[in-house]
Amino acid sequence: MATLVLDNGAYTAKIGYSLEKVSVIPNCQFRSKNSRLKTFTANQLDEIKDPSGLFYILPFQKGYLVNWDVQRKVWDHLFGKEMFKVDFADTSIIITEPYFNFTSIQESMNEILFEEYQFQSALRINGGSLSAHHCFHSKPSELCCLVVDSGFSFTHIAPYCRSKKLNHGIRRINVGGKLLTNHLKEIISYRQLHVMDETHVINQVKEDVCYVSQQFYKDMEIAQLRGEDNDLMRDYVLPDFSAIKKGFCKPREEMVFSGKYKTGEQILRLVNERFAVPETLFHPSDIGIQEMGIPEAIVDSVQSLPEEMQPHLYQNIVLTGGNMLFPGFRERLEAELRSLVPAHLPVSVLLPPNPVCHAWEGGKLLAHSPDFDEMVVTREEYEENGHCVCEDKFDI
Amino acid sequence: RPQKKIAGQRRVLDEATRQRRLTRQLEALEKDNFQDDPLSSLPPPGPTARLPAFSETEEPGKRKTRGDHFKQRFRKNFTALLEEENLSERPEPNYLSAAAPPSSLPPRHFCCVCGFPSHYTCSTCGGRYCSCKCLSTHRETRCLKWTL
Repeated sequence: MATLVLDNGAYTAKIGYSLEKVSVIPNCQFRSKNSRLKTFTANQLDEIKDPSGLFYILPFQKGYLVNWDVQRKVWDHLFGKEMFKVDFADTSIIITEPYFNFTSIQESMNEILFEEYQFQSALRINGGSLSAHHCFHSKPSELCCLVVDSGFSFTHIAPYCRSKKLNHGIRRINVGGKLLTNHLKEIISYRQLHVMDETHVINQVKEDVCYVSQQFYKDMEIAQLRGEDNDLMRDYVLPDFSAIKKGFCKPREEMVFSGKYKTGEQILRLVNERFAVPETLFHPSDIGIQEMGIPEAIVDSVQSLPEEMQPHLYQNIVLTGGNMLFPGFRERLEAELRSLVPAHLPVSVLLPPNPVCHAWEGGKLLAHSPDFDEMVVTREEYEENGHCVCEDKFDI
Repeated sequence: RPQKKIAGQRRVLDEATRQRRLTRQLEALEKDNFQDDPLSSLPPPGPTARLPAFSETEEPGKRKTRGDHFKQRFRKNFTALLEEENLSERPEPNYLSAAAPPSSLPPRHFCCVCGFPSHYTCSTCGGRYCSCKCLSTHRETRCLKWTL
């Protein structure tokens, strides 16, 4: 029997069989200005030649699955002939859900997996629990681990002890990649060029130029310098989707520091935006969100747990989710934690090679662990006992 | 609009209005799209026009076996689902109790025009600015207007 691992994120689905590689695929539908009647699903995004003004239809709202029509279209596509060719009667699925997922969403999930698709068996689990499993699997001597999962909708801090999730230590910060992209879109639109309709393009700008500053106020000073002294300044060439398919930063030697470019390209000049936007993860109050930033929330979470666990948690902090790809994130977090945590406790922050797929990799390992068969609910069990058996077995 | 007008002085937005404005800004940051759905901006079909079927309409004969009750449960938005959970009466920890508490660090202030650290507050709307130049841009574009 095959096991399909699906880390069902609000922006991308990380999917693949447990014996194969992972694929990262948009977990949404799109409409484009040029073919308004057609709705594109998941990786059909690649068929859109001109994705300017791309319109997103997302199954998630604030990180929770609410639009099942869209979700099922995406899953039909993923499970179907064109992609994973799932033989439901002979397939077990591991699927992720957010922390504290609502009861009604969990029940809908059971119904869709067992009644609509009719998977042979299923394991519903939090993405962070898969990351923690990955962590305990690669370092069996560790007692505890603290997962920091910063994705599209929000950021969670989740402590685990001996692979048990410690629910009362979980903290959520309502800052995620979507908010950062929207914020960048908003400030660029106010300061230089109206790009409010260009979420897709500006998300790429964010991924290409934003970084986490190590010395925030020092970088602010550099960012205020004029001309060539300002080595933080970047000129970003926007795509026109004919000659330029993908945006990019002008090489330093081609930058024009005073006056205009002679080339006809459309250019965004990015300076403090580059690090002020990701800074929101560390200081949500900078844009008026009255919540702790990640370092402070980690300390708040750890301090809510028994004292004997605390040293183990600070020693084993794992970063997952797309926002961890901002250069400098790990270093900044470790430095800030070092100054917040008592000096006699070691602090260690780990950035896995692929933070986006870390949970998926954990799911892949779990599928081959000896306990796996005990963790799943089979379709027969569901048909016999309904939602109760899922509620008892799954730790969401 | 509850705005105080002191004789001969500029309008001053009260605290409640400032808070509403902030809430609206933060809500805008949660939006999936700023623009309208390209599909909805199509001209309405004439009486004789026949649009080709597109995938939004349910394919005939597929998954129509369930009653309205089931369908309805699948069409609730986040706010409705959150209310339905009735979390204030459920034991903690839950979705509400997991929210990170407010920071104990002092707030930092940035110019709402250029984004650099700011030392001054606009007396009208409470927005921050760093220089006369940014203040005048702010007054012309956002202060009492707020276009974007």
